[in-house]
Amino acid sequence: MSQGSSSLLKPDQTGRKLWKKVLEHRYLYFMLLPCIVFFIIFSYIPMGGLLLAFKDYKFNKGILGSPWVGLEYFKTFFSSYQSGQLVKNTLIISGMKLFLYLPFPIILALMFNEIRTRWFKNVSQSILYLPHFISWVVVVGLLQRVLAPDTGLLNQLISGLGGDGSTYFMMEPKYFYQIMFGSHFWKSIGWDSIIYMAAISGVNPDMYEAAKMDGASKFREIWNITLPSITPTVVILFILSLGNILSAGFDQLYLLRTPGNMELSDILDTYIIRVGLQSGQYGYATAVGMLQGVIGLVLVVLANRISRKVSETSLW
Amino acid sequence: MGKEFYRLSAGEKIFKVVNYLLIIALCLSIILPFLNIFALAFNPGKDAERGGIYFWPRMWSFENFGKVFEAANIGQAFAISIFRTVVGTAASVFLTAMAAYALKSKTLPGGKFFTMFVFFTMLFSGGIIPYYMLLKSIHLTNTIWVYVIPSLYSAWNLIIIRTFFQQIHPSLEESARIDGYNDFRIFMKIILPLSRPVIAVISLFNAVGHWNDWFTGAFYVRKAALRPLSTLLQEMLTSAEAMRDTLNQAAGTNYDMIERIQVTSNSLKMATIIVVVTPIVIIYPFVQRYFAKGIMIGSMKE
Repeated sequence: MSQGSSSLLKPDQTGRKLWKKVLEHRYLYFMLLPCIVFFIIFSYIPMGGLLLAFKDYKFNKGILGSPWVGLEYFKTFFSSYQSGQLVKNTLIISGMKLFLYLPFPIILALMFNEIRTRWFKNVSQSILYLPHFISWVVVVGLLQRVLAPDTGLLNQLISGLGGDGSTYFMMEPKYFYQIMFGSHFWKSIGWDSIIYMAAISGVNPDMYEAAKMDGASKFREIWNITLPSITPTVVILFILSLGNILSAGFDQLYLLRTPGNMELSDILDTYIIRVGLQSGQYGYATAVGMLQGVIGLVLVVLANRISRKVSETSLW
Repeated sequence: MGKEFYRLSAGEKIFKVVNYLLIIALCLSIILPFLNIFALAFNPGKDAERGGIYFWPRMWSFENFGKVFEAANIGQAFAISIFRTVVGTAASVFLTAMAAYALKSKTLPGGKFFTMFVFFTMLFSGGIIPYYMLLKSIHLTNTIWVYVIPSLYSAWNLIIIRTFFQQIHPSLEESARIDGYNDFRIFMKIILPLSRPVIAVISLFNAVGHWNDWFTGAFYVRKAALRPLSTLLQEMLTSAEAMRDTLNQAAGTNYDMIERIQVTSNSLKMATIIVVVTPIVIIYPFVQRYFAKGIMIGSMKE
């Protein structure tokens, strides 16, 4: 933290100068201290706890005293019959959320941008942002009711139209992806459109004027002006979200999971909770979680580097 | 729409109408399920059994709410949710803002290091199991403080608040310093009052996070008396489904019993959902006007 000139001074003088500066900022240090202590305890000590991934945890010996097992747990995971299915499920679900879902908030933002009736825009935006604030517990509660066999809204509609209204949608694996994607769409699309709306409102209005002079249609305007202008935002957001590719959304999947759709809905996150917190295989679950964390970190770092090159915008 | 609408070409008219219709359909997809829950929650369970209740109760009654409040010790859960939301949010927003102000300083020796120290926790963590072991070893599990203390700081909120503080003109701070204000007083008397939008938005996010968190109550707390509302609802949803499965698997021998259990658990569930959602829906409009500003600040960082 020493300035360039201070290196010319004698060490004790540098020390004194620094000390003086520290004293000047003593209030700031007091304001910061609980924060640093907090992150040491609740973030850095658990990082040290990753040692568990290499240890056979014995309750009475603690993490440090327990015997080493090396890479045993990693081997177990990769050779287990479940690992392939888990990784596949995780990648399919997060892939759907990253790729398939990507255009929809952008489309919604474009749609909102075309709405000129103020009150309509305000009211509909308020309604569409609301699900973001509703927990997955409530959303899954709604789903269980709306999709319930016989008495749910959807089944009543189907039987009203003359169909068979007894489908147990939440239990059938063939409806799982629709329910998972649909509920994610329903909950997030409004909120996720905000950032694209901000990007659209930043487009220079002169460009639209010029296009109008040239007789461009609305669709051409969107295709040739709006979309290219917001591409950097889209690219950055997309690249940064790549880091989450191995966490497909614990809350949603844990709560949507039923005995019926288990083979598709079991992901790494839910597996870690199940083997770790529920059956107490601490070391093994830590190892699986560590794989997830390390791959996530590598992806974020890579994505950041790419984003810095492509768009000169980066997280750090 | 108005006059302008008639001047548009046919294609543009269709585009406009479809646009409005799609947005209305999306809004309905959000409102209708809630209305359905609302109607079922306020309709007596026995009557709802007959079916045919869609978006409005057939006969109004508070019966389900009465049952929920006496049966499922929901009153206590409600109190715990209120406690953690109010205390947790107030403490967290104040402490996080204070740290954000310290980290905003460009002259603080070590400031860059501390910022990176906090920022890194967003990129990597020890994962859920070491975290659980930590909570256990410092005796936070099974206490009410597990809801408050581990969420006192959030790196993400800290960075958003810091970005907002950085945009406040430094001349205000300078003149206060000349008047002999120390850093803490500047923070309390000048920075905080100027930061109402960001404080409002972060408080809302924080409060909603506390209110909606069911995970802590489900996995870090064993005492039933310490369950917050969200965890209670989560247990109701999972156990009702599980109960139905076991009953269905029992070859559907006793349809009458299955029906009865479904009816009671359904009306309890619906009423609980209404109890969980209502506070959010009430507070939401008041804070909503700060959204645009608060989110812009967050997005600028990205």
